[in-house]
Amino acid sequence: MKKSYFLIHAGLLEISWPPEISESILWEQLSWKHRLEEMMGGKIEQIRLGFHTLSISFKHPVMIREWDDVFEQLLLTEPDISFPESNCWKIPVCYDPEMGCDLSFVAEAHRLSESEVVTLHTSPTYLLHFYGFLPGFMYLGGLDQKLHTSRKKSPDRLIKAGSVAIGGKQTGIYPGESPGGWHVIGRSPVGFFNVNNIPPVVPQVGDKIMFNSISSAEFFELEKERDNYKWIND
Amino acid sequence: MIKEPAYLKFIKPGFLTSVQDGGRKAMAGYGIPYSGAMDQLSYNKANQLLLNPKEAACLEMSLIGPEVEFESATQVVVTGALCKVYHNRLEVPMGKILNVKSGDSIKIGAFIKGQWCYMGVRGGIESAKILDSRSWYQGITPQTKIKKYDRLVYLSDEITFEPQHAHVRIDTAWFETNEIGVYAGPEWDLFAEKHQSALFSQLFTVSEIQNRMGIQLLETFENQMEEILTAPVYPGTVQLTPSGKIIILMRDAQVTGGYPRILNVTEEDLNILSQKKPYQKIKFRMISNP
Repeated sequence: MKKSYFLIHAGLLEISWPPEISESILWEQLSWKHRLEEMMGGKIEQIRLGFHTLSISFKHPVMIREWDDVFEQLLLTEPDISFPESNCWKIPVCYDPEMGCDLSFVAEAHRLSESEVVTLHTSPTYLLHFYGFLPGFMYLGGLDQKLHTSRKKSPDRLIKAGSVAIGGKQTGIYPGESPGGWHVIGRSPVGFFNVNNIPPVVPQVGDKIMFNSISSAEFFELEKERDNYKWIND
Repeated sequence: MIKEPAYLKFIKPGFLTSVQDGGRKAMAGYGIPYSGAMDQLSYNKANQLLLNPKEAACLEMSLIGPEVEFESATQVVVTGALCKVYHNRLEVPMGKILNVKSGDSIKIGAFIKGQWCYMGVRGGIESAKILDSRSWYQGITPQTKIKKYDRLVYLSDEITFEPQHAHVRIDTAWFETNEIGVYAGPEWDLFAEKHQSALFSQLFTVSEIQNRMGIQLLETFENQMEEILTAPVYPGTVQLTPSGKIIILMRDAQVTGGYPRILNVTEEDLNILSQKKPYQKIKFRMISNP
């Protein structure tokens, strides 16, 4: 895979892979991140991931010659084959139309029944590429093409915490209340972000995620334990 | 002298008063923004004048200032946007170290130039430090802005030292320039060449659509660029939306975004930009990398 980098300024640069959502790009991003921390750890303020990007902000400006040496080294890095041994988390979701206010819209848009949408959404094993947008918001790869749905033209003012939604080629969960332009098809009773925990999230980048359909009775039962939810790892 | 925890109490909350510091710099991996003072230069200055630790938290205030009552003795200083400062109803200069006694009040009055100002308290404000920072941000800290009668903790300190430059004139000329230095962003090359030059020849207007997350400019651009796969963004990232609007991300910006990132405002000029009120003009100036 072709890699290049773009220097924004001496304290911020971005490495990019071909523009696609792919598991092999993620494994390479993670092994590069690991190598970068080994080689330049003390100089790095922060590394951020996108689907096909990895950006590095430095505590102090870096010399371009030093960086070029590091980049040469990275190009020689072999992806770590042990990464795919990650966790697979089962996340309960209630697809009751009352929780998923846009479920019928998504079904109609694709000429599917609501239960077919649920089956298509609960079948794949998703891959957690990175956290972004809001604290605890997972960017997942693996949404079935039959469910790709353009984002709303104007965002909803309030989406409830735990809402499971589809936006374009992606699916995700709103960890807290927020405005949002994705189509909400269900809701999870799980707490996805807790500042009192270290780390504040449970699934880590590179982990797998599966959605598990539950009834509204089960939803309300689990919701009581929102912040003490016992995550199920397969 | 033992430092005692004391409260500062808000008689009037102000329009948008919050606790801010240098921000959370290592938490983007969980989707957590930097946050921190909008005008980092003025925030740092408040701490420097008080000989505070660099990362001490200050009060950030905007447009309508608060009125604060101090429970016991300390020293405070006000920096940033040019505004009226009153110590026990007596007007005092900005940038002056004010020796505050038990029961004293400090009031921030009209904002004359700029829109963000900072009140440093000796030793810093001791609100909860969460994930390595005291900066208030929704979903991270219990609160995002001050309400009437809220109280914040500081450490009282009777030793009223007199720094050599007890009164530093607060100069606002630095943020009155309309030139904003920018670097090319990752999607700059995809931005049609004719637009590239137009971006630097015209004046842009800061719109009313602005908050701690970002500032939208009034003018629109004809845009043929598609959205990108979600990628990292930072305070200072300049995005171009599908409808041709330009958004400059500020301190509370989300950590990733899907709009093309055409430019990146320099760290220094992000402070200048934060002080621009709606309908003020700005002009981009490209800074080339070596």
